[in-house]
Amino acid sequence: MTGAIAGYLPLFDLYLIHLGLAFSQYIVLRAGVFSLATAALAGIGAYTAGIFAVNLGMHPILGLVAGTLTGMGAAVVLSIPLARLRGVYQAIATVAFIQIVLSLNIYSESLTGGAMGLNNIPKTVGTVTLLVFAAGATYLIWALERGRIGRAFDAIRQDEAVAASLGISITRHQTLAFALSGALAGLFGGLEAYHAYALDPNQFGFHLLITVLSYVILGGRNSVAGPLLGTALLIILPELARPLAENRMIIYGIMLIVVINYLPKGVADTFLDWWRARRLGRQGGAP
Amino acid sequence: MTTLRLTDLEKRFGGVVASEDVNMTVPAGRITGLIGPNGAGKTTIVNMITGMLPVTGGTIHVGDTDITHAPAHEICRAGLARTFQNIRLLGETSVIDNVLIGFHRHKSSSLLSALLGLPAAGRETRALRDRAMALLDRFDLARFADYPAGGLSYGHQRKVEMARAMAAAPDFILLDEPIAGMNDVESEGLAQIFRGFAEDGKGVLLIEHNVRFVARLCSHIYVLDGGRLISEGTPDHVLNDPGVIAAYLGDAHA
Ligand SMILES: Nc1ncnc2c1ncn2[C@@H]1O[C@H](COP(=O)(O)OP(=O)(O)OP(=O)(O)O)[C@@H](O)[C@H]1O
Ligand SMILES: [Mg+2]
Repeated sequence: MTGAIAGYLPLFDLYLIHLGLAFSQYIVLRAGVFSLATAALAGIGAYTAGIFAVNLGMHPILGLVAGTLTGMGAAVVLSIPLARLRGVYQAIATVAFIQIVLSLNIYSESLTGGAMGLNNIPKTVGTVTLLVFAAGATYLIWALERGRIGRAFDAIRQDEAVAASLGISITRHQTLAFALSGALAGLFGGLEAYHAYALDPNQFGFHLLITVLSYVILGGRNSVAGPLLGTALLIILPELARPLAENRMIIYGIMLIVVINYLPKGVADTFLDWWRARRLGRQGGAP
Repeated sequence: MTTLRLTDLEKRFGGVVASEDVNMTVPAGRITGLIGPNGAGKTTIVNMITGMLPVTGGTIHVGDTDITHAPAHEICRAGLARTFQNIRLLGETSVIDNVLIGFHRHKSSSLLSALLGLPAAGRETRALRDRAMALLDRFDLARFADYPAGGLSYGHQRKVEMARAMAAAPDFILLDEPIAGMNDVESEGLAQIFRGFAEDGKGVLLIEHNVRFVARLCSHIYVLDGGRLISEGTPDHVLNDPGVIAAYLGDAHA
């Protein structure tokens, strides 16, 4: 019995790390920014944390703080040119950013290990630590979206001009969304570094971008339940059968196309909408 | 008493002149009318005042504050709110949340407590919910609070927009054709509400095609045609002005 549970533990650890990355992607989309930079920001956080441990012999807590701050700093810097762009142009610019970070990583061989990756990172993070951080991130997102900032994000995403006419500063809120996204990506990147013994530059490329985006699109972009559910579904589904697990990316691609066409709001948000409508229907008095 | 003042306001879209030499005063505590045929430039003026269109000439002042080139969100903070001719509610969002967004400029809790969901932020949201419900009640919309705003009827959506604008507690409110598509009973209800705004000391700028409605509510009316003011004064004066009659007849025959 314990053997069976232990067998699934790596999968659960993966879920907790990717949940943090999914929230990083979620928060920018929620604020109306079409940024796909999470993969690169996670890489920056992971390598910072890794270098702090391997090259500088620092305590893991310091490494995680440094990973979070560099992720956040990079995101805030990135938000400056991105504030002038909208929609698909933001997406393209952030994909370029992922490539730049990847190339810099490979060229800075003395610091990052280059194409060989960063190895021999002491493993200091286990399931319990991951659980604590994932719960913290979930709480942060939940608290944020039920208050003033969540309302401002929703307004900006739906109609920027209206949001501005109601006194909401677009730049301030989108920078805040970027900072949070970068901090979450940096932190969970750092956790990945201390959990995995080694880092590979290609781990934070296009592949991770699609994976993280899929979690949010499948789950839903408008409630904390979206990333929670989307990440779980996409990590568990391919495990149900070996051939599926070997073709994870193909499944994610097909799933993205199907969901965008038939459940554009994602599984969790579609369910929540249906449930709300049902409750209102019971109260009677349609508008 | 502050006033909203437009001085020699001008707007050009490339070669098209949408406003020229517009001088207007919207005093607090009164309803000021702005009428004119289709395409006269009324909405363009509201868009310039609220910072949604860059001004190409002239100035806009609230009291002594120059807001001509201020960004839209700062103009809201200077005490101006508006509604839109083509209703712009957040369609996915519930009616009450649409109104809650209007309170944004009156935040009381800190950024950190809003981020971390501390009790202060929860208290803020609860207090604002109560105030939003009171506003919805004033517009007879309380029973729709939890419905998605996009699903309401046209007239109800207009009223949600007004409630949202009022949530910002503005000193001046700019209403762009607020009774378009409403029946007489509904528009009479709104007339009472607009008078209430003025009695509360707010300055109201009312844009309407229904000239009788404007004449009933306003003591001072501006008439715009082809981007220029062609007449202003009391309803009696303006409606008997041959220039105004010609502009409207010309429009009807065009
Ligand atoms: N963004 C724009 N670009 C170019 N021309 C514009 C733009 N916005 C408005 N115009 C032009 O400016 C003129 C005034 O338009 P505006 O919408 O302000 O009129 P209006 O008085 O509000 O009309 P209506 O009664 O139909 O609402 C019109 O000729 C219109 O075509
Ligand atoms: Mg108009």
